[in-house]
Amino acid sequence: MDNNLAGDSPPPPPPPPPPPPPRPKWRKVAYGGMQIGYDDNYTDETFLEEMVMNANVVRRDLLKVMKDSISISQYLCIVALVVLVWFHTLQSSLDETSLLLLDLSLLALGFLVLLLTEEKMLSLRLLLRYVINITFFTTGLYVLAPVYQTLTRSISSDSIWAVTVSLLLLHLFLHDYSGSTIRAPGALKSPSLTSCISVNASVVASVFVASRLPSRGHVFAVMLFSLQVFLFAPLVAYCIKKFSFGLHLGFSFALMGLTMYSVYALHRLFFVLFLVLVVVVNVVCPYWLIRMQEYKFEINGPWDEAKLCFDITD
Amino acid sequence: MAEPKLRVLMVSDFFFPNFGGVENHIYYLSQCLLNLGHKVVVMTHAYGNRTGVRYMTGGLKVYYVPWRPFTMQNTFPTVYGTLPIVRTILKRERITVVHGHQAFSTLCHEALMHARTMGYRVVFTDHSLYGFADVGSIHMNKVLQFTLADIDQAICVSHTSKENTVLRSGLAPGKVFMIPNAVDTAMFKPADVRPSSDDVITIVVISRLVYRKGADLLVEVIPEVCRLYPNVRFVVGGDGPKHVRLEEMREKHSLQDRVEMLGAVPHSRVRSVLVTGHIFLNSSLTEAFCIAILEAASCGLLTVSTRVGGVLPDDMVVLAEPDPDDMVRAIEKAISILPSINPEEMHNRMKKLYSWQDVAKRTEIVYDRALKCSNRNLLERLSRFLSCGAWAGKVFCMVMIIDYLLWRLLQLLQPDDDIEEAPDINFCN
Repeated sequence: MDNNLAGDSPPPPPPPPPPPPPRPKWRKVAYGGMQIGYDDNYTDETFLEEMVMNANVVRRDLLKVMKDSISISQYLCIVALVVLVWFHTLQSSLDETSLLLLDLSLLALGFLVLLLTEEKMLSLRLLLRYVINITFFTTGLYVLAPVYQTLTRSISSDSIWAVTVSLLLLHLFLHDYSGSTIRAPGALKSPSLTSCISVNASVVASVFVASRLPSRGHVFAVMLFSLQVFLFAPLVAYCIKKFSFGLHLGFSFALMGLTMYSVYALHRLFFVLFLVLVVVVNVVCPYWLIRMQEYKFEINGPWDEAKLCFDITD
Repeated sequence: MAEPKLRVLMVSDFFFPNFGGVENHIYYLSQCLLNLGHKVVVMTHAYGNRTGVRYMTGGLKVYYVPWRPFTMQNTFPTVYGTLPIVRTILKRERITVVHGHQAFSTLCHEALMHARTMGYRVVFTDHSLYGFADVGSIHMNKVLQFTLADIDQAICVSHTSKENTVLRSGLAPGKVFMIPNAVDTAMFKPADVRPSSDDVITIVVISRLVYRKGADLLVEVIPEVCRLYPNVRFVVGGDGPKHVRLEEMREKHSLQDRVEMLGAVPHSRVRSVLVTGHIFLNSSLTEAFCIAILEAASCGLLTVSTRVGGVLPDDMVVLAEPDPDDMVRAIEKAISILPSINPEEMHNRMKKLYSWQDVAKRTEIVYDRALKCSNRNLLERLSRFLSCGAWAGKVFCMVMIIDYLLWRLLQLLQPDDDIEEAPDINFCN
């Protein structure tokens, strides 16, 4: 072996090691143990790719929501009118005969509306059945009027007013504003628990108010009026709304006008409060609802329970 | 005996003598970790008269803490009530890692909170899927956010479960490891003599008969399949509220001789029921990880299932949508490929695809990672809780501060040195 003198080229560098075999593609499977070249906490870009956000969210339009909220303020006006009638009766501004006239006219109006709006549903037999039911109802109330008159004689007035107000508030909160408390002959869905509670609350409130009245005739007239309105007004309003939206709007505005005028005649403060309430329900609440929709975040994905596509008939 | 490398405390409300997925998971994982040379202790609540310390196979020490369950096998959530007993157990056994199981277990959440306060490393495994929309889920997710805000590592049992947990708790995906469950292939062996599939094909269903497990789908699918294939019979094991509907279905279509209802099948008899069949049908509507399918595949049955992609290779399972027509189509396909299935070969493949030893090794890696995480002091940890929500963050911080103060108080009343350490008993055979 010669001695290498200066000037000789250095030994050739060793060949570079072969590149390591590329690791196999990561698969999103659970079997096979740990995947070679990947840790168990490896997350690739397919993570959360099957997540669907806000798939079922309803996009709301401000004008439509405001139009829908008119039903709520219409019902508020109806309840306010009932309370006004109670107030005037308790203050003896309304006497028996005028109340009875009011009852009869409301009944006739209601029937008229039903007849005009339900073109194909009502037949003579159904009408006869309604008339018979109303007769039974009225007779029953007349017979029970003396009982109602003495019902709360031993309870102080303050308790009665407090209970009435709370029951009315409960009624307003739990009322089913989508109109299914009455099962009209058009087959609406069956009433829920809260709508039953609200109807009961309104009936009990009317009984309490009626029991404070001086004579049996008053009691009968007021009870008839209150029950007529609370039990049948939703049905009438629903029929009007179904018939024509323009008629519904006109009816609502007429009611609102009548209520505002009557409340103004009664007391200024109540008028202001009522006005504020109607504005809040009709304008502020729809706007608020639409603003809150931006924060809606609904998440769906493969972890959800599958929905069965058939009905389960037991 | 050599000093164990890791000393793990498994905490959950769900353990033997209760039977279920979580209980099995904890038991098998603990046994395999014991075989690897670590020390494992399990903490759970009392079951009936079973309180105190019990030893199970292999020297697995179980503390049945004397707290009674109050609803759905959960202990009553007194937030600080478990602090003394958890501290005692952690000190006695010289634990290094605390591993909690199942988001629905109140004992797990409390124990993990106390372990973090006292400075131990904490790992959490989630076994279920939850929604986001109903009241119960919203509260459960908030509690989970609290627990996972300060955790070292988390484990999920499937990829769907990992996505679900990350969304619910806001945890970084890199902190969540995906380690599936496994099946005891030594127990679930195919029959020595396979029942012949020439004249009668048997389809086995073993599940709880509830809505969530798709019992209503079974009611629609079974008559249709029986009508199309006169040589198919069904064996249905399991009990539940939908039992009545299945009985009605049997009566209505006169399938008493073709559909056999076994009632509740104890876990020890599941294998003997499975080996009588050729095909296993799973109709569950949602499942984090379906172990029943693994047990069936280990016994050599071909599986027809809904929504459990990624659990078995494509040639061992036929997937279907949770729709009766699609399931009938899937069963038809399964019947057509049945002659090419070899149970022994399927069983041998399952041995390689899933084993508890593999799960234990992967869990060991997670523990090692957890031990490498730096230990933060109280103030740094509190900042992690503040991000949980505008009001919730502050409530959680208060809870942790009170926990810390109670721990210091306990240290004053019963100093650490006064707690006697339990000796390690060698159970080698």
